[in-house]
Amino acid sequence: MAKERKGLKERIKYFKPMLMNIIEPFKIIVKDPLGRIGAVILSIIILIAIFAPVLATHNPNLMNERIEGSIIPFDEDGNWSSYQIIGERPLNEVAVGQEYELAVADHGFIYEREVDGDWIEYELGQEVNFLAAAVYQDFKLVGGENGLILFQNEAGNWEQLETPTDDNINDLYVFSADSAYAIGDNGIILSWDGQDWSQIDSGTQRHLREISFISSDDGIIVGDRGTIIHYRDGEFQEPAFRSFTDATFRDLLAVSYYNENQAIAVGERATIMVYDGEEWYTDDSGASRSLNGVIHISEDEVYAIGLRGTILRYDGENWETIDRITRRDYRGITYSHNRGYIYGVEPYVNELAAPSGDHFFGTTHLGRDIWSQVMYGTRTALMVGIIAALVVNLIGATVGMIAGYYRGNIDNALMRIVDIMYGLPLEPFAIILVLIFEPSLWIIIMAIGLLTWRTNARIIRSQVLSLVERPFIKAARVAGASDLRIMLIHITPNILPLAFLQLAVAMGYAITAEATLSFLGLGPPQIYSWGTILHSARLSGAWRTAWWWVIPPGIFISVTVVSVFLISRSLEVLTNPRLRGGRDNAPEPEEPKNVLPNEQ
Amino acid sequence: MGKGQYIAKRLIQLVITFLIILTILFFLFRLALPDPTAALVMDGLSAEEQAMVRERFGLDRPLVEQYFIYLRNFMQGEFGLSFHYKSAVFPILMEKLFNTLALMLPAIFISYLIGPLLGVLLSWKRGSNTEFAGIIGGLTLRSAPVFWTGMIFIMIFGIRMGILPTSGMRTLPYEATSNLDKIMTLDYLRHLILPMFTIAIYYLGLPMLIMRNTMLEIMGEDFIELCQAKGLSERKIMYKHVARNALLPVVTQAAITIGLAVGGQVVVEVVFSWPGLGREMIQAVRTSDFPMAQSAFMMMAGLVLVMNTVADLLYGYLDPRVVLKGGDK
Repeated sequence: MAKERKGLKERIKYFKPMLMNIIEPFKIIVKDPLGRIGAVILSIIILIAIFAPVLATHNPNLMNERIEGSIIPFDEDGNWSSYQIIGERPLNEVAVGQEYELAVADHGFIYEREVDGDWIEYELGQEVNFLAAAVYQDFKLVGGENGLILFQNEAGNWEQLETPTDDNINDLYVFSADSAYAIGDNGIILSWDGQDWSQIDSGTQRHLREISFISSDDGIIVGDRGTIIHYRDGEFQEPAFRSFTDATFRDLLAVSYYNENQAIAVGERATIMVYDGEEWYTDDSGASRSLNGVIHISEDEVYAIGLRGTILRYDGENWETIDRITRRDYRGITYSHNRGYIYGVEPYVNELAAPSGDHFFGTTHLGRDIWSQVMYGTRTALMVGIIAALVVNLIGATVGMIAGYYRGNIDNALMRIVDIMYGLPLEPFAIILVLIFEPSLWIIIMAIGLLTWRTNARIIRSQVLSLVERPFIKAARVAGASDLRIMLIHITPNILPLAFLQLAVAMGYAITAEATLSFLGLGPPQIYSWGTILHSARLSGAWRTAWWWVIPPGIFISVTVVSVFLISRSLEVLTNPRLRGGRDNAPEPEEPKNVLPNEQ
Repeated sequence: MGKGQYIAKRLIQLVITFLIILTILFFLFRLALPDPTAALVMDGLSAEEQAMVRERFGLDRPLVEQYFIYLRNFMQGEFGLSFHYKSAVFPILMEKLFNTLALMLPAIFISYLIGPLLGVLLSWKRGSNTEFAGIIGGLTLRSAPVFWTGMIFIMIFGIRMGILPTSGMRTLPYEATSNLDKIMTLDYLRHLILPMFTIAIYYLGLPMLIMRNTMLEIMGEDFIELCQAKGLSERKIMYKHVARNALLPVVTQAAITIGLAVGGQVVVEVVFSWPGLGREMIQAVRTSDFPMAQSAFMMMAGLVLVMNTVADLLYGYLDPRVVLKGGDK
């Protein structure tokens, strides 16, 4: 027992100087005001790295979307104007009358204007989404969820009309103030006689989507699962000659009935059905996305629109895709009185947004949140910085110690290797490594580790050279201690503070080097680092105006590296005791050294 | 051993070191590309051209023999044929090297003109707020990634204010019969301003801090006390005695910096689309143009080695205290 305790004490005796030497650098840092600043900043950066997932407000890979209600006007000649934003809600339908235009949106929003006037916004409650709108002269109808139908009274207020249904109203068609139709979910068809809404039996339970008339007693209704209903002379009939293919069982979302011989219905998965007066048949446009709207401008000019900015043009024979004006999702198209609109923009990618409360540092050209990317980038920077600094120190200290301790030929050989290392410029060497291997963080760490130990080795060597001449090392040698023992127990504790200084210096260089290499596109593309953020900013070309994409990562790099530099600077007294005091009371140095931190 | 012998020894060391780097590079590249002809075929050279290249570089012979052919070619200035340009690498590289130097030398000149002066000021004001601010400023300049400051400069002066060109060396298209022709114009100077200051600002911190540290060291020396005892003014002591002696490490650092700058500021050339050596190398990596990347790297490594040797020799030449010896203990 006693013997063991003695062994433990013995061991503590050896470790004590080592511990003291580990603590010493921290003391020095805390004493120096600049060192304190550096330590505080670095601590904050480390905390950011640890809590990056908490601090990140968004998934950095997610393309953030934004919702706006906008319209794209066009005229009878097919001239498109640029889009106009009406409000913050996705528009569900736009109705065009002779004098008035009406738009309805989610969350109880209605927009109304006189032709060419300004839009007036009505907010009628948060709960209900408005789905349908219709205008005839100054008779305006709005339909919505839960069987809601509103009309605008003379005072300009919206008044609810009683309806015999609780199902959603999907479309409205107005002939006059005394005659209108409404269709909705579960096969609902309602008719308006100027006083009341009455239900008509449609003979189906499927959701009905759109209704289109060529005269008051000839119309077509389309709905889910390929539902097509002809309404003629007060009677409903399913088309007799419908060809039953897969396509005809898809949901039909819109219909345009132009004359007795021309009608087109469109629906999900780019389904197109054409009516030639007798028969419905499917047609293929080459498009693949859901089509949400179709309209006839004239006999041989039809437009169909859909998700992701799909616009198709039909001349009676062929479908042709029109260049996308935007990549937004269109909900519908309307045309009347020589005025046409594509409307109802669904969520679109919030690209290159300036900083806001939602995105602190704005978004990238792919709508990704830059703040979150920068937060995650902190992890990469610190990880590369710390690992590379450890590798650098391990190689540098070992080589320096062996060279300084053994001297002679070993020293010569090792220092020649150091010379060779000084001949290899870091960035180009890393570029060559990337050319040869795949880009990854390890290549970057390897490049830094393989090259920058050279300075460490030189500094540690010079320290060891002087240590070896000290009496206590000589005494240990006389006492018969092995080389390994002397190096580990007597020399290592004495070079620890210096190694600590070099750790800080190497970390600063490693972080800069990682940022630089990543900026050149040599980092792994799937990992966020400050360098890769700047790389993608440059690659996108948007960086010239999107300052919010460029400034934050650069500031983070600078601040982190400055903090590390401040720490290493306060540690410089370890190598140059003269820096300890002021000019007047500079103590005599124990041994003059000329150790300038070398440019890497 | 005398001075001459020392110099000779350093030069021999230089050559040997360079040979070792060449060797490492050769085997590193063979490791990556065991059969360079495959890359040649992929790059669409004609069969005759392939045969020619294969023969010239001995690609069909054993590895060791290839190595010696590689060394011989290198001695003869035969750097190979660029896969990308389909022409000899060497003239292209020489032009790019000139472009790089046309950017780096003015930038380093400016930073080593201003940096030491600021360093003197800092050491003079030791312990004051000026020094405090100066150190933080100097470290910040060295910490801000140089490509980032370049981007900020472009955004401010190139895009917002629109007063300076932000890319390239000259406005295209231009005609220049010689390199000198290319830079003896106002147009070149306008293109030079932004990248030059980007680099100069980055390099400014190092001579400033070195100067300050050395100044402080020298102020502790006995002969300064003597000067003070003689009654010389503070200003005179600072500039005539301290600063003069403290310039030494700055000068040698300048030489080392020139060597490193050629290969070390790849990013600036990329950001400003400066048609220099570094940008060429990046392009070579992107297009897998092995001979070009290899030769560019050799050129950079060679320059670093030469300038390091120059710095060493300069140190010995400038500092009378240093006794040049052959390296024997």
